[in-house]
Amino acid sequence: MHNQNNMSRAQVAVLYLVLTTSIASGIAIYSSASIITGLLKTATVDLFLPMLISLIVSFLLDPTVQFFEGKKINRTLSIFIVYFLVFALVFLLLLIIGPPNWKGMMQALQADFPRYVSGAIVYLSGLLATAQQHFPFITHYDIVERLSSVSQSFFGLILKETPRSAMRIGSLLLLVPLFSFFFLRDSRRIMRSLISLSPNRYFEMVLDIYANVSWQLAHFIRGRILEALIIGMVVWMGLSLTDIRYAPILAVVAGASNLIPYIGPIIGMIPGLVIALVDLGMGGQFWWILCVYFLIAQVIIDNFILIPILISKVSNLHPLWVILAIVMGGKLYGVLGMIIGVPIASIINIIIISIHQYRRSFNPYQRYFTSRGKLL
Amino acid sequence: MNPFWSNIFKNSGYEQTLAYFLGTMPMFKKLDKRELAFLENIVHVRNYEADETVFSEGDIGSGMYFIRSGQIQIFNMNEHGHETEQAILESGDFFGEIALTASRPRCASARATEPTILVGLFRSDMFEAVRRHPAPSAKIMLGLNRVISDRLLQCSIQLEELKKQLIHNRKQQTDA
Repeated sequence: MHNQNNMSRAQVAVLYLVLTTSIASGIAIYSSASIITGLLKTATVDLFLPMLISLIVSFLLDPTVQFFEGKKINRTLSIFIVYFLVFALVFLLLLIIGPPNWKGMMQALQADFPRYVSGAIVYLSGLLATAQQHFPFITHYDIVERLSSVSQSFFGLILKETPRSAMRIGSLLLLVPLFSFFFLRDSRRIMRSLISLSPNRYFEMVLDIYANVSWQLAHFIRGRILEALIIGMVVWMGLSLTDIRYAPILAVVAGASNLIPYIGPIIGMIPGLVIALVDLGMGGQFWWILCVYFLIAQVIIDNFILIPILISKVSNLHPLWVILAIVMGGKLYGVLGMIIGVPIASIINIIIISIHQYRRSFNPYQRYFTSRGKLL
Repeated sequence: MNPFWSNIFKNSGYEQTLAYFLGTMPMFKKLDKRELAFLENIVHVRNYEADETVFSEGDIGSGMYFIRSGQIQIFNMNEHGHETEQAILESGDFFGEIALTASRPRCASARATEPTILVGLFRSDMFEAVRRHPAPSAKIMLGLNRVISDRLLQCSIQLEELKKQLIHNRKQQTDA
């Protein structure tokens, strides 16, 4: 009981002062920190996408740069050579095939879009009606209303976003080659200086883990992009054999959605099937298109050929994580976030797995134990 | 002349560089200047304080070290925690080369006895170098191979001598 009276008035005053100042300074630090992070966020929000794409581009171009480097050309010059080759290739392709009329196609698609949606709605409601005939216990569900409202809002979004995304693409065309040039030239030096910051005790571990992660990442990114490209090409070729319109756009959609595992390919084939159904009807061509999407692109090319060759070396994500990544990515960055969410989750997965593997072999407490597990 | 003044102007800058230091190592003697510059770019320079552990026995090693300056003590620890000193290494020596080409556990611990600068050559960097620049990497690996073979030769000669001694001792014991 004496303890309570031990503090004099002055001590209480000092305690009070210290407490209030610490609380006040805490609030001040917190608010200034949030201001700083807010500033950082607004400053970097437009840099995220170009940085990501240039990282991917530099991963893709690195083997070719290495090839020229092996011919005793210095790195900067070999990067320029690779850039020149890539631009020449794109130019040649455009010259030979002729640019697909993207703009006209987009405009036509904008005009045709409501027709496709209404066609799909009609078909779906027909399906629903037959289902209700056979299974009367299905309560009347207003699918028509819901679908048309959703599709209208989606269409409005596309209309609104198109000019903005055109501007974005312009800035990307400028920033991505620049960034990826520096990534290609200096990434080794940057990573070396970052790694050398680690303390002596963990230096070897950090170096080994970095080597493992970067190897896996390079394979993963190269594999995924190549897979998407090949799937897009296959779908394009398959669709070109039919009378379907918008084959290039559908191929791009199929390739891009193929970046999302499990769910992506299914979503990617919906627009193609809807257009085929509305324009061509339920004929042989429709079944051929379904076959192209499903059997040829997904099962034969992707599952039997591409995945075993390109991606099997890298561990895959659990489907649950894939869905979580898609939902979270969609919340953060919209459709783009859905596409890049899964690769980013896989990257995090690769990092965690290789750290785990390393810790299993590199046990920091091992030196305190004998080989039989006895404490030294 | 005052040695304080004579030193500065005689030494060309090159002799102070990391590349020159690497060129003085036995395994890199046959590399030319360009290859030494390449080697300079794949090694890491690490600074250690006195009594700082470089690695411990049983750790999974990831590379070898050259001592640029300072002193390194190599020792083993037995089950009761007693240390047995194996060697004291000085500037220009190297250690840990067993872990360079495969991830093997360290067979002894290494500790700096004074402020030390080590130059580390690590497996991951070496593998990358082999992929990207096969010709100079092959020369580096050949040099390493030569040094390790020499060590192996020394070891087998010593082993042979020890065997002879053992047989000799046994004979004496049976005779007695």
